[in-house]
Amino acid sequence: MHPSPSPSPGEPVENIAKPSGVQPGFNSLDVIRGFALFGLLLISAWEFGGFTFNEQLFYHNGTHGGNYKLMQLVSWLVEGKMSALLALVFGAGILLFLRKKEFPVPISPADAHIRRMLWLMAFGVFNAFILLWPGDILFPFGVMGILLFAFTRMKSRGLFIAAIVCMLIYCGKQYWNYSDDKKDYRKYTAVMAVEKKFKADSSSRARKDSLDRTKDTVLLKDTLLQNKRLDSIARKNDTLTKKQAEEKASWEGKIKSLKYDSATTQAAKKMMRDSWQKIAYQLMPRSQQKESTWLYKTGIWEIGMMVFLGMALLGIGFFSPRFSSSKYLLIGLVALAAGFALAWLRLSLQCSRLADYAQYIEKKSIPYNQLYPLEILLSATGYAALIAGLLRTKIFTLAGKALAAAGRMALSLYVLQTITCTLFFYGHGFGYYGSLQQWELYLFVAEVVLVQTVFAIFWLRYYKQGPLEWIWNCAVYRKWLPNRISNKQE
Amino acid sequence: MMDQSSITMTAPVAGADRIKSIDTIRGVALLGILLMNIPGFGINQDFWYPLVTGPRSGADYYTFAAVFTLFEGTMRGLFSMLFGAGMVLFMMNKKEMPGHPSVAEYYYRRLLWLVFFGVINAFVILWPGDILFYYGLSGMLLFPFRKLQPKWLIGIALLCVAFGMIKSQWNYDETRDKRKAYKEAQQAKMEKKELTPEQQAAIGTWEEIEKSQKPDTAATNKNLRKMQSGYATIFSYFIPMNTNYEINYMYGNPWDLLCMMFLGMALFGLGFFSNKLKTSTYALCMLIGYGIGLPVAWMIFDQFYMDFGNPGGYMDLWTSSHPVFTEFRRIPLTLGHASLVMLIFRSRLVPWLMKALANVGQMAFTNYLMQSVICTFFFYGYGFGYYNKLSFHQLYYVVGAVWLFQLIFSSIWLRFFRFGPFEWLWRSLTYWKRQPMRR
Repeated sequence: MHPSPSPSPGEPVENIAKPSGVQPGFNSLDVIRGFALFGLLLISAWEFGGFTFNEQLFYHNGTHGGNYKLMQLVSWLVEGKMSALLALVFGAGILLFLRKKEFPVPISPADAHIRRMLWLMAFGVFNAFILLWPGDILFPFGVMGILLFAFTRMKSRGLFIAAIVCMLIYCGKQYWNYSDDKKDYRKYTAVMAVEKKFKADSSSRARKDSLDRTKDTVLLKDTLLQNKRLDSIARKNDTLTKKQAEEKASWEGKIKSLKYDSATTQAAKKMMRDSWQKIAYQLMPRSQQKESTWLYKTGIWEIGMMVFLGMALLGIGFFSPRFSSSKYLLIGLVALAAGFALAWLRLSLQCSRLADYAQYIEKKSIPYNQLYPLEILLSATGYAALIAGLLRTKIFTLAGKALAAAGRMALSLYVLQTITCTLFFYGHGFGYYGSLQQWELYLFVAEVVLVQTVFAIFWLRYYKQGPLEWIWNCAVYRKWLPNRISNKQE
Repeated sequence: MMDQSSITMTAPVAGADRIKSIDTIRGVALLGILLMNIPGFGINQDFWYPLVTGPRSGADYYTFAAVFTLFEGTMRGLFSMLFGAGMVLFMMNKKEMPGHPSVAEYYYRRLLWLVFFGVINAFVILWPGDILFYYGLSGMLLFPFRKLQPKWLIGIALLCVAFGMIKSQWNYDETRDKRKAYKEAQQAKMEKKELTPEQQAAIGTWEEIEKSQKPDTAATNKNLRKMQSGYATIFSYFIPMNTNYEINYMYGNPWDLLCMMFLGMALFGLGFFSNKLKTSTYALCMLIGYGIGLPVAWMIFDQFYMDFGNPGGYMDLWTSSHPVFTEFRRIPLTLGHASLVMLIFRSRLVPWLMKALANVGQMAFTNYLMQSVICTFFFYGYGFGYYNKLSFHQLYYVVGAVWLFQLIFSSIWLRFFRFGPFEWLWRSLTYWKRQPMRR
């Protein structure tokens, strides 16, 4: 999925985090990428397998048992952090790619990079609309790779600042969305006050009407008619205007979307167990939404800040073997501790939000996800540092090698994950959508991770690149490149 | 075809080395774009309804017919073509300097600033019809194609046209299915059958569509009230609108811009814009362009625009809608306009006008933003507040005034300065260095 920093034979790469001597055969960027790729599946499996937001609400609204705790644990440690980590590695990878001195064909690095990104977008479209994964990140990554190309020569300091600016804008947007909710709620309470008054009015009128009827004979006819006329005007004014009704419905809809609804689950199950055509048709708006609205409103900042950070980290030698182990440890522990603390805050605020959003809005001045951008930024940095640091110890060499293999063919494995999951869960495959428990989903993920790791290790014994990486490069350089390893190395 | 040697240019694009013919066409396109933008600036969007439903006479109707037959989309098309050509020109003009950012990097920085200016134009100057945002982003996609031969570029342009057509037809089919469902439900109602919930929903859905095609008094009143308000009100009124445009146009219909940009790159490679073809070729291009474009344009105007108030009848009549074939009108017409300008340019009939247009074109970026500034101040509530106060044809007096002003202003400005003020700013930002400005 990323410009692979590991030099394929015949393409010497300079300035790279070349793990010379100490850990032969892999570098930290590949390992981190492999790690993030597998971590991401843990979260994607929710959506692939039918553990949707609605299903999660079931546990939020219910008794907070084991399933709830497991869900919160995964959200605490993983959610949002893995795609952030991927974006971080993606950013670093772009810089490494642009520094390459040799390419399979005579081409400027800029040309090669932009072509790669365009093909990445194309793979993303394929992944989203043909393989049917609305959560696809290839398309947004490709777009960001093109958009941020202009920053690739910036100094690390500038890149750090850019990352922080993106993060702050993202935080600001979270607050903005919250204030929209607040506005909706205020409008709703105003409408409710009016409605309450109407109810009081109409009951008093009913009382008066019955009085009038008894006094029919007594009252003068004119007065009676006059009263009736006034009443009918009042009744007309008593119903909410169209605008008021809309304002009421808007907030009620919001509240409803935060409550578990079994009909939604049933509908989702029915839909996802249907044929490919039906699913494709149903999922299309969601994929389009992710590629357009989400990218425009959120993705630019969410992916952007991590890409900037990745570039900046590469610039200060974060991925180089000369980076000191104690710094890794320090950064890793501090960033992860801060990230987890923020995640804890988010989960606890989320809990009270889901319990009663109206009350939450009245009491809390910030949304539950106010600092989510900072949280994923810190956590991803922490994970990256910790992994890079742990690779220094001999214990993790084997795991490192395995993850590096996966990381080197991340694009292939990512798309393969989509194929595996859709075939397993969707209707045109085995149709297990919605029939696995949460913990079973994680077992499934573990299975996939295991198979993919073994596959990657074996594939890279015989081939220089993953299958899709190879196709990608052939398309970018418009040349049939050899992929088989002729003499087995080592 | 597009190697450096084919065109003798080396210096940065300033002063005498500019290709005058390109500046002239750009000037025409820049001024022409206001023809299509002025209704957006100055009149409530249901202005077309009385024109379409009323008698086919009167100054308003004739203006409407002329503008929408001759110019709709073509000026944006011309501008897009020149943008594509300008992109190739930019890459050709600059030499790689070791130790400095590559030309590609400058290109992408330039475009990112353009995107930024587009956001400013839409959200700060408050012009929801901004195109700079889309040009900046589309330009980023053109880069890898800059060295392709014209025939390939034309092929890609046609591919873009095809994408646009397929998508347009898709959307039309979808709406048409709703119409069909509605008619079936109506039929069932006539036969006094009990309607299923789906049938009831189908009736509601279609009625909404039909309603959305008719002027809505409540919406109009709201719009007029907002447009007569102060800056802050219009600013927040436009935020969701601008956001939706930027998302949906860029993602939903980039083909409109891309096809013209690729075509512009191809034409530039063939020497069309740099005045390199034979006069007879330009004349032939014009004849073919207008020969195909004008009849198709009239057909679309007559059968589609004039039937705009009647979506149901239109859908019952046509299996495919006219907008699907809009490029059959737009590309030939645009080509016709471009050839016409080239012929006049060559003939040296009105050299003073060509010179003035070239000046406008040389500072097109400034002039484009200036149109937004002038028109928003003239029409919006925080300025003179002429919004919806002029009749349709009167809007074009404003256009004439702006044209005159820009022709004179550009000529005077360029007498003293090398670039337009915003061109200077843009350049300085791109190279991240203050650029010389005075002559």
